[in-house]
Amino acid sequence: MSEFDVIVVGAGPAGASAAIKLATSGSSVLLVERGDPPGSKNVSGGVLWGDSLGSVAPDWEKAAPMERYVEAKGVSFLTKDSKISIDFRSKKLQERRSGYTVLRTKLDGWLSKKAKDAGAMVASGITVDKLAFKDNRVIGVEQDGDIITSDIVILAEGANPRVAINSGIRERLKDRDVAIGVKEIIKLPEKTINERFNLTSSKMGFASEYVLGFLEGGVKAGGFIYTNKESISLGLVISMKEMRQNNNTRSFDLIEQFKEHPYIAPLIEGGRVDEYSAHMVQEGGLKSVPQLYGNGFMVAGDGAGFSFSNGMVLQGMNYAIASGIAAAESAIKAKIKSNFTREGLSSYEERLKSSFVLQDLMNFKGIEEVTWSDMIHRGIPNMSEELFLSLFSENGQPKAHLINLLIGAMGHSDVPRKDMVINMYRMLRRM
Amino acid sequence: MALEIIVMIKQVPDSQEVVIDPVTFTLNRGAARNVINPADENAIEAALRIKDKTDAHITVITMGPPFAESALIDCMSRGVDDAVLVTDRAFAGADTYPTGLTLASTIKKLGKYDIIFAGEESTDSSTGHVGPGVAEFLGTDQASYTSESWYEDGFVYAKRELEDGTEIVKMKPPTLITVLTNANDPRRATLRKKIDAMKKGIKTMTLADLGMPPEWVGLRGSPTVVKSMRTIDEKKREGKKFKIEEIPKLVDELIEKKIISI
Repeated sequence: MSEFDVIVVGAGPAGASAAIKLATSGSSVLLVERGDPPGSKNVSGGVLWGDSLGSVAPDWEKAAPMERYVEAKGVSFLTKDSKISIDFRSKKLQERRSGYTVLRTKLDGWLSKKAKDAGAMVASGITVDKLAFKDNRVIGVEQDGDIITSDIVILAEGANPRVAINSGIRERLKDRDVAIGVKEIIKLPEKTINERFNLTSSKMGFASEYVLGFLEGGVKAGGFIYTNKESISLGLVISMKEMRQNNNTRSFDLIEQFKEHPYIAPLIEGGRVDEYSAHMVQEGGLKSVPQLYGNGFMVAGDGAGFSFSNGMVLQGMNYAIASGIAAAESAIKAKIKSNFTREGLSSYEERLKSSFVLQDLMNFKGIEEVTWSDMIHRGIPNMSEELFLSLFSENGQPKAHLINLLIGAMGHSDVPRKDMVINMYRMLRRM
Repeated sequence: MALEIIVMIKQVPDSQEVVIDPVTFTLNRGAARNVINPADENAIEAALRIKDKTDAHITVITMGPPFAESALIDCMSRGVDDAVLVTDRAFAGADTYPTGLTLASTIKKLGKYDIIFAGEESTDSSTGHVGPGVAEFLGTDQASYTSESWYEDGFVYAKRELEDGTEIVKMKPPTLITVLTNANDPRRATLRKKIDAMKKGIKTMTLADLGMPPEWVGLRGSPTVVKSMRTIDEKKREGKKFKIEEIPKLVDELIEKKIISI
């Protein structure tokens, strides 16, 4: 007889959602979290997209500690001297549902409390060492030499899946699987944020991704700025491969370069850096998705590779929540049938396949090759800069047609014209 | 018979996060998360080290608001056997005198005690009064500012760090020992113990349980009156930038200002 029906490792959005779902349906759950309090070690850019929380916390939009609603969404290319942006703002975004900016210490703390209130036992400040096996089946977790038993373990340990690696259910991370995210939370008065980002109320939020084509040494990185109520989340994501190829690059230098850009600096001027953090980011797409389930265990959230980036939006928490809930539902089903084997948990994969979680990952297979391409980081920014400089300047010369300007601008892109065209086609197809 | 050990702890705002309100000059506790007072973690560890070698039963006690429960559970997750939260609205606003008195009354209520541990002082008020105060109220021996302690053949030994050296004192229980910050390396909580702690839970005692007159506790029982408190404005340091090639000029200026001499 196991001590718990389910042990959930990791109290991020995936683990906490799974624990809420399980506890609400009457299962005995132990939620173990390394950080104390839960949330204190968790990092993400900071936009929770969609309504995944709805099924475990119907009142989340009112009750959960959300910062601002994303009503303004931007995508920008930065060159050394220029910024080329789409700044999309729409009253219809709320109807169609976009996302909320969040601070993870608050959100994850709230989710854990919700799990506790639902009846889960929450043990924070404890790092699980590995899964405990018996007869080729997971029977619980091991910590400091003790084994705590459960019928099922849901691993929701995030982008650095140490328990899975220590337990031999997944290989050590490879460079292609991860990127490094660095982030600062910069404190600014609510009013200042509203003014600088042209927001009409303190509920309205701005979120933007940036292609940072201007970084020293040609390092490729993607930046982001999200407005919270009284702070700004600013950070960047850089692939491991890029870090290795540019040996002298330090992530903290890159974030400084981003902050000092002539069109970023005024946004954060006078702000005080309240927090800085760094974390691994899942980047490998479907290739890095390991064994999702087996005898007595399931893997959810970032630890299963569930995150999405097409350069225009970065998403992870919504996949985490949806996969955590799917794992919980599969655990409940397995309990009814008293079958905790791989076969008994196979409904987990079916659930993921029929939801956006695996469908997005399959549909956008290979997108990381586009998002980290020369085309995106140098081609488009340089070409656009030249094109708009030609269009928006007046030097007394006869004006050219747009198409000629475009062909001329391609010559400034650092990327051969032929490659540009091929890449452009590929990119559109993959996006 | 098992040695009865009591550890007194306090929950304090994390000193790295705490800010002083510029208007009221009081600590803005709301902004900071609460942690076990650092020296008290060393006191817990000192108690556990005695239990590692001797048959002992450890009870941790704290006086504080209900949310201090998490700190007590944390202590139990490291190996402390029982936890008591002494909580009552009447205790609010207590200075070190009624705090010591309340804790001493609690310890008496709990029954037998052989060794009482406390941290040398708390990071939020830094008086160092409460530990020695409890010893005085209970009439026990005490050894303050200790870096190490052990139990042998019915005696408690404690190593005190003094300005001019160290002193080892030998005492007969019951006795009270205050432990220096960083005196030892506190062990971590384990999952097994944490589960047990959460299942077992803590005990709560109120003013009525202690049977103390209300005028002895809290603000009413406190002889200290805070007249005013202020923060010291940070003095802006003068700064000047020099280029590498201007170093001789910098040296001249430093000599001129009598900061250095050659």
